[in-house]
Parts: sequence; structure tokens; C-alpha cells
Amino acid sequence: MKNALVTGGSGGIGKAVCLQLARSSFHVLIHYNSNKKSADEVLSLIESEGGKGETIRFDVSSKKAIESALGKWKNDNNDNHISVLVNNAGISKDNLMIWMEEGEWNSVINTNLNGFFHVTKSLLKDMIINKWGRIINIVSLSGLKGLPGQTNYSAAKAGIIGASKALAQEVGKKKITVNAIAPGYIKTEMIKNLDEKQLKTLIPVNRFGNTEEVAHLVDFLAGDNSSYITGEVININGGLYT
Amino acid sequence: MSLEEVKEKVNAFLIDEFELEEDQLIPNALIKDDLDIESLDFVDIAVIIEREFGVKVTSEYIEKIIVLQDLYDFIVEHSNK
Repeated sequence: MKNALVTGGSGGIGKAVCLQLARSSFHVLIHYNSNKKSADEVLSLIESEGGKGETIRFDVSSKKAIESALGKWKNDNNDNHISVLVNNAGISKDNLMIWMEEGEWNSVINTNLNGFFHVTKSLLKDMIINKWGRIINIVSLSGLKGLPGQTNYSAAKAGIIGASKALAQEVGKKKITVNAIAPGYIKTEMIKNLDEKQLKTLIPVNRFGNTEEVAHLVDFLAGDNSSYITGEVININGGLYT
Repeated sequence: MSLEEVKEKVNAFLIDEFELEEDQLIPNALIKDDLDIESLDFVDIAVIIEREFGVKVTSEYIEKIIVLQDLYDFIVEHSNK
């Protein structure tokens, strides 16, 4: 049974990804930082469907916390390693750049971009040694198109897109693929205050997306059937931006 | 550990892992150009060296390993410390 780590797995897209990967027979590590209750609920749901998983806590903005938590997991699971990584954890702190505080910029870059770096680096060696791996980075339309009020978030996500393309070339020979998924408007807490009725007129399929739709794409990229796809950014936005 | 012991183990690993022929493994063979071993392949090599010889390889040393003899010498030097 392969192990899959989903950062930010306790809610929204992360939760749907955890459930879907468990249905595809992965042992899922449901990462959370502060919301233990939600992570436990995701685990209960997985187990109620006959799947396997566990929760794991660390702060993705802290290199030390990442190395400590993943190092402990490795020690506790001697003959095992994590072969699928879904970098999904992230935060947004929207503000027009003219009003943006340095702290708002730094915390978004640190959690989203530096978090991607430290978590991925911690798991990469095992993937290289075992000559198989899947790294799936959840980015955003914001990282491709840029969205006003999100210079920090757009920069972080665009950074992950660039890093994904570079890393894909570094590790392709070792049968490790690295791809990014760029969701548009997906029904999650992050966009709960947006007016779907108004915004859907801009979306060719005329609706917001569901977390399960993103999860199915992650599931495909996590499997063997996607082995010739790497370094890609796959949009899932109902045709909003192509 | 003697040079001969190191050579034997390293060569066996390189033949097995990188599908190299024994006659390619001459001491002056350039790791990158003659043996087609890329920097990322050093991850595998570093793991084997640590497991077989108890020697930790850091990126600082990897840069100094140009020919196969450098690799043997590095292991002999550090395994006997």
C-alpha cells in the first residue's frame, strides 16, 4: 500500500483529495496544523468507507516542524516511505499592494511557497531512492493569471508553478512526476463570500466547481496511468481561463 | 577499509544500479561524461555509501568527485576515520 501525504487535508479541496486517494487504496496521511477535529473527522470518514489513514500535525511554514514531524513518521514506519505528496496547504491574506503590510506578504510566501519547498525536499530523497513518486501541487488561477488584491498569493502560486516545472525536469528520470493543478472557483470556505450567481456568468460551464472534481484529477495524477504527464499545470476552472 | 574492498563494493553497485560494464570502471573514468552518472544519481550513491561504509556524503564532497578514483579515495579516507 502506497502512502500519500496531503497537506491541508482537513478541509475543502484537501479533504476531498484525502477521501478520494483512500478510495484508490492509498494509506493517507491527513495533514493539519490547527484543526485537529476536522482532520479526525476526515480520518473517520475514510475508515467508515473501509480506507486507511492517519493524521499528522505540523506547521508548513516551519522547516523545523516539518522535518521533525516527517522524521518521526519515518522512524515510526521504518520500512516505509511517502511516495505521493499533495502540496495543498496554503493561506491567503488579500490586500491591494499599496496597503499590503510586509507581514502579509511574508506570511503568504512563507506558508505557500517555502512550505512547498520544505515539505517536498523532506520527501524527495525517498522518492529518488525508490525510483517512483508523484508530487502534485495545488496552485491557483491566481498564480497563472494574477488576481488583483492577491499579489502575495499570486506570487507564491506562480513560484510553485515555476518550481514544479524545474523539479519535473530534475527528477523525471527517476520516475517521479511533478505537476500543478490550478483550480478556478471551487466551492470551499475560501470563496464562501463570493457571489456565485454573479460570477458564474463569467464561467463557460456556468457554475462553481466541486472539491470532488479536483480530487479526481489529483487521484489520476497520483496513479500509474499518468506517468507520461509531468511539468504540467492543469487548469480546472470550467473554462474560465485557458 | 582497504582500497580493494571499496573498489569491489562500489563497482558491484555501479554495475547493478547503472547498468555499466566492468571494463568501463577504470580509475580515471569521468563520473559524468564517461559513466553518464548525473548529479541526481549521487543520491543513490550517497545512500549506498552510507549503508555499506557508514560514510556520510555531503554536496560539498560530491563536487570534488570527478573521476572514479576520487570516489574510492573519498570512501577509503572517511571509512577509516
